[in-house]
Amino acid sequence: MTRVGVLVAVVAVVMTLVVVATATASASTQTPLQPLIDAAAPGSTLVLEAGEYEGGVTVDKPLTITSTGGAIVDGHDVNSVFTITAPDVTIDNLTIRNSGDSLDREDSGVTSVDVPRVTVSNNVLENVLFGIFLRTAPDSLVVGNSVGSKDVETARKGDGIRLWECEGTVVDNNTVNGGRDLVFWFTDRIVVTNNTVTDGRYGLHFMYSDDARIEGNNLSDNSVGAFLMYSRRTHLAGNIMANNNGPSGYGIGLKDMDDVMIEHNRFIANRVGVYFDNSPWSVDSKGWIENNLFAYNRTGMLFQPSVSRNEISMNTFIDNTEQVGTTGSGNFQGNDWSVDGVGNYWSDFAGYDADSDGIGDIAYYGQDLYNSITDKHPELVFFQETPAAKAISLAAQMFPVLRPKPIFQDDNPLVERPVLTPLSTSASGTSARELVAVSFLMLAVGVVAVAFPSRRRRTANPTEVGP
Amino acid sequence: MTASPAEVQVTVSERPELRLIAAVAKKEIADAVRSKWFWLWAGAFAVLAAILASSALPGSQVAGFGSFGRTAASLVALAQIIIPLMGLTLGAYSLAGQRETGALRFLLSHPISRTEAFWGTYIGLATALFATVFGGFGVAGVIAAAQGGGADAASFVRIAILSWLLAIAMLGIGLLISTFTASGSSAIGTSIFVWLGLVFLGDLGVMGTAVATKMPVSALFISAVFNPVEAFRLAALTAFDGSLDVLGPAGQYAVDSFGESLDVLLIAVVAVWVVAPVSVAWWRFSKGGDV
Repeated sequence: MTRVGVLVAVVAVVMTLVVVATATASASTQTPLQPLIDAAAPGSTLVLEAGEYEGGVTVDKPLTITSTGGAIVDGHDVNSVFTITAPDVTIDNLTIRNSGDSLDREDSGVTSVDVPRVTVSNNVLENVLFGIFLRTAPDSLVVGNSVGSKDVETARKGDGIRLWECEGTVVDNNTVNGGRDLVFWFTDRIVVTNNTVTDGRYGLHFMYSDDARIEGNNLSDNSVGAFLMYSRRTHLAGNIMANNNGPSGYGIGLKDMDDVMIEHNRFIANRVGVYFDNSPWSVDSKGWIENNLFAYNRTGMLFQPSVSRNEISMNTFIDNTEQVGTTGSGNFQGNDWSVDGVGNYWSDFAGYDADSDGIGDIAYYGQDLYNSITDKHPELVFFQETPAAKAISLAAQMFPVLRPKPIFQDDNPLVERPVLTPLSTSASGTSARELVAVSFLMLAVGVVAVAFPSRRRRTANPTEVGP
Repeated sequence: MTASPAEVQVTVSERPELRLIAAVAKKEIADAVRSKWFWLWAGAFAVLAAILASSALPGSQVAGFGSFGRTAASLVALAQIIIPLMGLTLGAYSLAGQRETGALRFLLSHPISRTEAFWGTYIGLATALFATVFGGFGVAGVIAAAQGGGADAASFVRIAILSWLLAIAMLGIGLLISTFTASGSSAIGTSIFVWLGLVFLGDLGVMGTAVATKMPVSALFISAVFNPVEAFRLAALTAFDGSLDVLGPAGQYAVDSFGESLDVLLIAVVAVWVVAPVSVAWWRFSKGGDV
């Protein structure tokens, strides 16, 4: 594109004073970016052409830095690539790579210091310690970025996105892989939507951040999907938490969380779906857990026995090895397992519904001998799903004398599995074609193995003996 | 009336001939295809596998998550119960049952050594088990894929191969039982007791001991893994889950202390169980005795 062409296009769109970076970066040299920033007028738009630029820059005036595509800003493994010290700065559509690796300096791809309204959008961040780290930047936007991480051991990693006192910020449609956390400190009224966080430590990590809205995120293959701590009135809806395993391994962990609302989420194949650690905390607060799916987790919901004041209704529990468990033994009570006469669906409910009102006529009791043993002897979890473990549970069902005391009861269990509403997040199912091919091949090999030898039995077999 | 073992040995060459082993194996496979047990086991395994695959929550309902992992886990649980029963009863009945009907005597009256007869029988039955296991997994795989399950074909094949290794390990134990028992019915009875021990009582015993003696997790893991059925289960779990750390402290111990070599250890345990019992059975059968 010619210089004139770029000018025409950008002026027509932006209608502000525009400085066009015309330097044509060759393959071997990188254009210094700082002089271009220094030359730009405050409030203007700096459009970078494709090519490589030297990072480690400070943006100290309101400015939009974007590109026509293919602009790479390289930090050379020292300090942060972009440091923002002025309000109303936008970093858009760039590839940002190679921050330093100092946890002390908190080297980042994009960082900001005490300025409001920072926008970081549509960037690709590669080999950065912290991806996007905003300090005291209320009303910011972090949208459409793809954030990678440095290939270092977990203890030396930084956070994919870290916000500190960024009230009212929107974090939408980002993809973060392999970092530590997406962590939000003292950030009230944050909106976190449609992000995908994988292979990290905590997918989302909330500290002292009230009134958050967390919707449509996919938090999979992390150590913990979302760990929410010391926050109030958090609303989680329509998220997927899958395959969060490992020693912690919670879909959601709740630590001292007041008035949390968890609805229409899916907790699949985690070690624990939701872990309740002293939540709700204050005596006048509650927790609501409604219309969620808990399937194939080791434990669907895990409670500290002292936890109470949660209302748990209309959830679907399918084949969790332990549907609901407690950590150790203790007097577990004070949570409502049905609200207004409607309980939850339990895949192992063996009752009936004579009056066809959709509610089981007898209560569902959370009592399983094997699970009550593993609550006290966690090392025996080793044998979960074995025939021997199933035999223990079956024996307790058949012989009441062996039956453990139920840890809870749902008086109004649903008899029909609630219909799941489609989620806004996209399915990531891999193609099944390979499995079909392999399966047919296995079937064919199996048939040939017996059909071929037995076809020639009359000539090859001198000892024809009836069965 | 009974030909002594010495007389039989005289009529055949010293080295076992592959041709004769193959002939016996073919006869065994032909017998299997015509017998009720083969179709019963193959049918039962395929139907149960198909039911498990189709009852998994359809992948479309839980967007972003295929049902394959659950199908595989259910298949492992199924294999753990049904494959030892299949292998044990089959092996136990083969020699003892043929001895009872006189078929074994008839077979050994041909110019064929006991070694050839033994390995021919073993290979024939192992092939029949191969067909049963791969047929069952094949059916389950097709149904799982039709359900839209996210597919990891490689680990699926690995679990099928592990299941077959478990099957022939159990076949070896069955043949060993066969060399100890006179009649087919007592061989079947013994094999069912052994099945109960391997599948249920072994694990229950370790659990009971662990609770009673406050066994450290290392001892719990080691004593559990001696059991071929446990070794199979753990190897299959690592095949599709990648890690045993979901299995609580003892699983975590296994991951921490064996790491990458855990797979090798588990498969080695299964391999020892494949080789050892059948070798002892061969030794007992070939040294002679009543047919």
